[in-house]
Parts: sequence; structure tokens; C-alpha cells
Amino acid sequence: MLSVAFNSLLLPLSLTVFSLNNMTFKNTLAIAVLLFLCHPPKADAQSRQLTVWAMGAEGKLIRQAAEIFERRNPGVKIVTQAIPWTGAHEKLVTAVVGDMAPDISQMGTTWMPEFRAMNALEPLNGFISSSALDTGDFFPGARESNVHREQWYGLPWYVDTRVMFYRTDLAAQAGYNKFPEDWEEFYKFSRALKRSKNGGYAFALPTNDWQIFLMFYWQNGGELLKATPVPYQGLWPSDGQSAPLTAGKFEETIAYLKRFFDEKLAPLEGGHDTDLLTAFESGYFPVFISGPWMISELEISKPQLNGRWATAPLPAGKKRASFMGGCNLVMFKSSPRKALAWQFMEFMAGPEMQAKWYAASGDLPSSRKAWSVPSLSGNPRLASFRKELDTAKAPPQVPEWENIAGNINDAVEEAVFGKVTAQAAREKLSARIEKILVKSERQQSAAFKIALSLLLFMVPVCAVVLYLRGRRASVGGKCQPIAILFLLPAVLILAVFLFIPIVASFIASMTNWNMYGVNDWTKIVFVGLENYVGLFGDPVFLAGLRNTLVFAFIGVPVSVALSLAMALALNAQILRAKAFFRVAYFIPVITTMVAVAIIWRWLYNPEFGLFNLALERLGLPAQSWLSNRWLALPSLILMAVWKGFGYNTIIFVAALQSIPDSLYESIALDGANSRQEFWYITLPMLRNTAFFVIVMTTIGYLQFFAEPYIMTGGGPLNSTMSVVLYMYQQGFKFYNLGYASAMAYILFGLIFAFTTLQFRVQKKLERTF
Amino acid sequence: MATVKRCSTAYKAVFYAFMVVSVIITLFPFVWMLSTSFKSPGEIFTRQPTILPQVWTLAGYKNLFAAVNMWLHLCNSVIYAVSLTALSVLFNAMAAYAFAKLRFPGREKLFALLLVTMMVPGQVTMLPVFLILKSMGLLNSYAGLVLPGSAAVFAIFMIRQFMMDIPEEILEAARIDGFSEFAIFWRIMLPLCRPIIATLTVFSFIGAWNDFLWPLIIMLREDKYTLPVALASINGQYNTDWGLLMAGAVVVVAPAVLVFLLAQKHYIKGIAAGAVKG
Repeated sequence: MLSVAFNSLLLPLSLTVFSLNNMTFKNTLAIAVLLFLCHPPKADAQSRQLTVWAMGAEGKLIRQAAEIFERRNPGVKIVTQAIPWTGAHEKLVTAVVGDMAPDISQMGTTWMPEFRAMNALEPLNGFISSSALDTGDFFPGARESNVHREQWYGLPWYVDTRVMFYRTDLAAQAGYNKFPEDWEEFYKFSRALKRSKNGGYAFALPTNDWQIFLMFYWQNGGELLKATPVPYQGLWPSDGQSAPLTAGKFEETIAYLKRFFDEKLAPLEGGHDTDLLTAFESGYFPVFISGPWMISELEISKPQLNGRWATAPLPAGKKRASFMGGCNLVMFKSSPRKALAWQFMEFMAGPEMQAKWYAASGDLPSSRKAWSVPSLSGNPRLASFRKELDTAKAPPQVPEWENIAGNINDAVEEAVFGKVTAQAAREKLSARIEKILVKSERQQSAAFKIALSLLLFMVPVCAVVLYLRGRRASVGGKCQPIAILFLLPAVLILAVFLFIPIVASFIASMTNWNMYGVNDWTKIVFVGLENYVGLFGDPVFLAGLRNTLVFAFIGVPVSVALSLAMALALNAQILRAKAFFRVAYFIPVITTMVAVAIIWRWLYNPEFGLFNLALERLGLPAQSWLSNRWLALPSLILMAVWKGFGYNTIIFVAALQSIPDSLYESIALDGANSRQEFWYITLPMLRNTAFFVIVMTTIGYLQFFAEPYIMTGGGPLNSTMSVVLYMYQQGFKFYNLGYASAMAYILFGLIFAFTTLQFRVQKKLERTF
Repeated sequence: MATVKRCSTAYKAVFYAFMVVSVIITLFPFVWMLSTSFKSPGEIFTRQPTILPQVWTLAGYKNLFAAVNMWLHLCNSVIYAVSLTALSVLFNAMAAYAFAKLRFPGREKLFALLLVTMMVPGQVTMLPVFLILKSMGLLNSYAGLVLPGSAAVFAIFMIRQFMMDIPEEILEAARIDGFSEFAIFWRIMLPLCRPIIATLTVFSFIGAWNDFLWPLIIMLREDKYTLPVALASINGQYNTDWGLLMAGAVVVVAPAVLVFLLAQKHYIKGIAAGAVKG
């Protein structure tokens, strides 16, 4: 298998590079076509095969469960695929939309309503009634996310909740033999902890984690989405009782958490970059909140800490509350092997496998019977979890939850950073939640929608046709019909994959196409310019727009100036080995942005990155480059300039070389020095090239995506959010296609405006010179 | 070229120092990437790192290949790059020939129309193309990945400019000799256009090799990921395993750099030609 891989690697590669000299283009083409046809055969051809997706740690362990099932059911093959948690949500959405969903998938409890709304999940009541599975065995909280209007859509797999993990020895050192039980005690405890040790923090509290925020908020008596909004209006009844968030309670929670950041008990910046377990061992973070999987991880990777740490329930606010999470197993409607898929789900949900799964993974069973196993009931560390499960709450079951959760993250982050007051954050958040939950009450007839779509489509098509017909073509001589054959492949592809999408995208931007419209076209309606208006009232989009413009306005001049300087240096007569330098500068250009972003992420690492180590050697303070809201964007700009300057350098070198020597000679005769040479000859002659370079670089920079996607995710505080990144999130994560299309067109408008502007400026300058 | 100046040795020394520093700044991150990929965690997570590892280890690479099937992703990238390059050069050259040397009504206008579309950013068409491919059943397939990019206006433009400089007489002579148009295209035009075709081939190959957003969207199953997408996925999953991450970066960067070094003449000439002639 390996040799086949090698052959398919080396052969076409060498052919590509060398055949051009021997004009065996035909051979290259033949190989390309062969490779095309020889991709791996479709794996789902067999009927006794299931595809199962699982995420994170479960993704690695599910192989073991699958093997047990395969042994008990000979002839059955289970193909498991491990999906990383980051991007898992958009992977599932795209898979469902693209008809590439697996048979079974692990699904977070908060994602269930969304996929139900997309009509992607197979209803299970029929399977349950004819099976021996006892659905009464599940924890009520676990059942909650699987059942909607009496219909089961998944089976609970495991539950989890969050507790405190803390270093018992460091706590004793600070004078505490028992973990604090309420908010005030916990605050005092954290202060004592910080005082009693050298450096580090008291508590690894994240600035933007909605799960942790909600736990404290609920403990304080706060409510989230207490009453479901009146459908079709999206507005809460004005009885003063219900609102998305509880005023007062929200502000109190923020005030409490903010104290930890203000007094440096928890890190405001750079919290994400440290490896949590290493920090727990070194005492840098002696306390953190996590779930049951952390128990086995600590025991396996840090056995030297045994006996020096313990778990405890969260400190209680006005009442106890924790977060009820977990995952279910769902079957997708598109699966062609439902009976077999049910067998596997039933197998995983039964008490026997639930207990076995706990033994392997540390995930808490959702089956109560499984808890009676001695390893669970007798385990002191799990006692805290068992206690929390009694008061654990699940977030509201609405399909738009992912979107809402993201907004809670943003609001909490802004509030703890002090960027806005807690009250302003709450009001902003409430408004956004309302906006997200608004469901359009408009109904438009199918005939109207089809007619309008066709109309909007035909207008540009007719315009193009008329333009092409126009006055008789200016090409004299007879027409050669064979031209059509030559044009056909390229023009056909451009028509299908360029023209039509451009128009379709414009039409989509005027509709409210979102996840509800995936399987139900009646839900899609035309909304005119509402998306565009909405975008300009969307703070995240405006942040993205601002950042994109800043990125371009700062990055382009720096990059172009640098390129020009290096080009002048490269062109200098006294330089030898010009080819070497040229190639060297170009290497960053031809590497993929993903790799560059990862390398630079390491360089920017606050603890071990080279930049901070160099700063410290010079006696300057270390910076948290990518998590500081003022430094993050400049850090990305620096990286982008480094990566791209070689490209424009080459262009400038070529332009410099095309300036006739005679010009320099004549001005030298007049006794000019090199500065005057540069100003009066070089610069003016470079004018056209410079404009070309500025235009192309600007267009590129306005589309920046990979840098924030890999390095910062758009944070902190949306300071590195870009238009394309937001578009990607809205389109492929939350499936707000109409909204995303409007964004794409705004980007297009931006690029168009800049290009036109720069051409105008060029014309004006031409006249002046 | 600047006129010859009397240059003091001091000036030369400073100048060369500056140039050397600039190359170091440009290439150092790659050196760092390479060296970190061969370091053990003890040497990576230290506040006194050395440029070269004191103890060379292949652990990063071992972990990388154990965790992720890099050969598979490598193959996927090769398939994508080679198929796209071959198809796009063919289709674009054919269309360019029609625009440059064949006569048909609306030729100039159609060309102008194509040029206008160059200003539309790729993200505008991303979503509809995704849906079109879905309706054709081409998602998660090489055909879906390659087809939309196999005709590019920029390439047609470049080739056309080149072809227009080729004298008509050659073609007329060939036609009189009884060559079919296709034979003229294949046997005469393409060989004459070798420089620009070579340039576009290298452009296209490296572009496809480094392409991130498009394969991210189209290839939904892990076994079809190309190298950049696989690398991004590794970055998300093995967030702090820097030895593994750097090894991944090396695997992704090395082939592109290799191809570039072999063919950099064409690439660099092509960029310059396209930009300066405009």
C-alpha cells in the first residue's frame, strides 16, 4: 500500500516538472485522468457496515466499543471516525446539508434541537417499542434532550456535569482543609491561595465560557429564556416577568467573576495557551473547573499527583446549580441501514455497555442501573459529581442554541474585560437573543417566490446576452465555428461555477435562508435588503469590517514599502548571488498559510515563544500577543507582511530592471546624487507597477481568513474577526445562508470600490506628472 | 540599473550585513519549525531553547503519523494538485486560443465580460457552488473539488496575451498545409507557448497544494482531506503538542518548497511578466 502511495506520488510529480521540457504533456494528462478515476472505492457499498462519528476523547475510544459489537455480531463492520471538537459542529451541519451524514453520530445535548429542526434525525419510538431497552432507566435530565413532544430522537450516551478540581496540598498550605462551600468563602480561599504561593494564579477561570458563566448565573438565581417567546413575533410578553435574561442577577454574577480577574486571581489574557495539566502540576493553576473525563486524564498522565488533588461541588450561590451536559447517540434519517444502526445504539445505551464505557473513558453513565456498579458507587471522587447531577440544569432546548451560546461568550468577555458595563452587556445580549429567535411570520406563496427568483435571475442573463449581441462584433473576416469547441469546456465551467453562482448568491442575499429552510422550502422568504441592513447593525460584522479595513490600511503600505525597499536592495549592483536572495524571500510566499500560522502561533506563545524570550532577555516585559485585544491584530499583520512581501519584491525587481539605463546616465551627467535619481527617475517609472501592486495586495488583504481562523478564532473580543471569517461562521456553522451571502456581496462592493478609487487616483496623478 | 558608484568597503559591509539579516528574518521561522519538529518536549517547553536540538528525536513525526494518516492526505493533495493543473492548463489554453486566434462574433465582448468577473472575490460564489455541487452529487469527491477551479479567467488572460504575439503567418501556413485547428493548437501553439504554460503549471500546482478554504468546505470526510485541511484539523485537536504540530507543518511545507526550488525560474519570470506588462 505504501509503495503504491509512493508511486502515485513520485511519478506524476516528476512528470509534471520534467515533461514540460519534453512536451509529454499528453502523458501528464493521461496520468491525471487515471489518478482521477482511481480514487478509493466507495466504502459504504456493503449493507452490513455502519459509519459512526465520535468526537474528542470518545472518538478515540469508540473503536473498542465497536470491536465488542463486531465480535457479538459477526459479519458486521463498524467504521468509526474521530472528529476533533473544534469544527465538529460545522462538520455535522455541512454533512447533513451535503447528504454525507454518517449512520450514527455522537451529538452534544445542546445540538439536538438544531438537528431536529433540520429534520435530520430519525424518530426512534418505533424502534424503542419493539425493543427490550428500558428508557425509564435514564436520568431525567438526560431524557430531556432526547425527547421532543413525546418522540424520541436519540438515546442518551453519557452525562456529565462540572465540578471543581483542586490541589489539596496547596489548599492546606493556604489554610483550608475543606473546599469552600459558598461564593464568599471561595473568593477568600482564592485570595489565600494566591498569597501562599509563588506566582501563577488561584483559579483557571476562562473569560468567555458560557457553560461556566451559566453555572454561576443559575446559582445566583438567574434565569435564561424563562418563558418561550411568543412565536412569530419573537418578543417577550410585556408582563415584566419574562425576558431572555434576569436583570440584576446577571450584573451580580459578572461583578463576582470580574473580581477574580481584577485582582489577578484568574488570568485575563493568555489563559488558553497554557497546557492545563502541566499548570495544575506546577501549581500555576491550582484550581479549575472540568468534567469527569479529567479524572482519568489526571490519573493517567499525572500519576505523580495522586493523593494531592480532589474534586468538590461548585461553591453554592443563592442555591446550588451546575451544568447538565453530556452526549447522545443519534441516527440520521439519511441512513440506509436503520435496523442495524438501532442495534448498535441499543447496545451502547444498555446498562452493561454503559458501565463498561465508564471503565474505559471515565464518562458518567446516563443509565441509573449502571451507577450501581461498585467502581462508581464506591468512588469518592465521583461523589461530587453524583451530588451535582441532582441539581444540574440543561440549557434551553432551542435550535439556535449554538448561535446564542456564542453571543453569551462575547457578552461575558466584554463585561469582564470592562469594555462595557455589566448592564450594557446584558441589554446587548438580550437584544441579540431576541433577534436570533425571531421567526419570520411572513408567508409568501411558492408561485411568487419562483417568479421573483426567475425574474432576478433573468435580468443579468438577458443583460449579458444583449451586451454580447450588441452591434456587430468588431472582428472582421469570416467566423470560424470550430471556436465553439475550444471555448466550450472553459466557458461551460465558468458559466456553471462562476456566472450562475454570482447571480444566485445575490438572490440568496435577499432571502432569509437559514437552517429551517434546509428541508422545508416554504420557510424561505424574500426579505429584500433586510440582511444588508441587519449586517450594519450587527456589532460582530462591524468589528469584522473594521478589522478588515485596518488590516488592509496598515498592512498594504507596510508590505508594499518593504517590498520596494527589498527590491531596490536586490537590484543594487554591488549585490552578488542575486538569485539566492530572490528565492529566499520567496519561500514564505509559496508555503501554505495554515503551516505559517501554526509556526507563528508557536513564536507568539506567551511562555515559550521566541518573541517573548527575546523580549525578556532585553529586559522588556513579555506580551500575550494573540490574546491581548490590542496586540492581536498587529501580530497577524506582522505575520501577513512577512509572508507576502517576497511576491511584490519580485514584481518590483522586474520593473526596476525595465527602466532604461539611458535615463540614469543622462541624469548622472547632470550631476544628480542617488537620492535625486530615486525621486526623479525610479519612482515615476515605477508608478504603474506600484499601482498594480497596491491594488492586488489590497484585494488580497481584504479577504484575509486563514490567519484568524488558525490563530485566534476571531478573538479576543472580536479584535481579529474578519469579514470572510464571520461569513464562514454564519454560512457553514450556523447555516445562515442569506446573511452570509449578503456579507459576500458587501465584500465584493468593498473590493470594487477600492479598485475604482485607486484607478481614479492613478489617473489624477498621471495628469499631475 | 543604477549607475556604477564608487562604493566604500564600509558601505558594502553594512549593506551585506543588512541583506544577511533580512534573509535570516525571512527564513528563520522555517528553521525554527524544522528544529522544533526534532525536539523532545523537554527541549520545546523550556525558557532557554537552542537553535538546534541537543537531543534529536523523531517522536514528533512518529506521533504525527500515528495520529493522522499523513500519507493519505499527501496523496489527496497530490491528486488535487495534479488533476487541477492538468485540466486547467488544458481548458484555459483552449479558450485562450479561441480568444486570440479564432474569429467568432462577440469575441471581444465576451472576453471583456470575463475580465470583469475577475474582481469578484471567491467567497461570493463559495456557497452557491457548494450547493450546485451538492445537487450534482459531487460533494466530497475529487471531481467536485477540481471542476470549479479548472477554468480561470486570469490564466486565460495570460495565455491569450502570449498567443497574440505569435505571428499569424505561422498559422496561415499551417492551415494551407491542411492542419486541422486542433492540430495547430496542439502541435504549434502549445509548444510555442511553453514559457507561459510552464509558469501557469507551477502557479496552479502550488496554488492547489496550498489551497485551504475550498477543500475545507468541499471535502467532508476525513479520508479526503488535503494536507492544509488535515493540518488545520491537527492544530485544533493536538493544540499544545508542538513537536507533532511542527512535524505536520514540515510535511506540508517541504513538497511545495521542493517543487518551487526545482521550477522557480518559471514562477518568478511569470509573475514579473504578468505584472510589468500588465
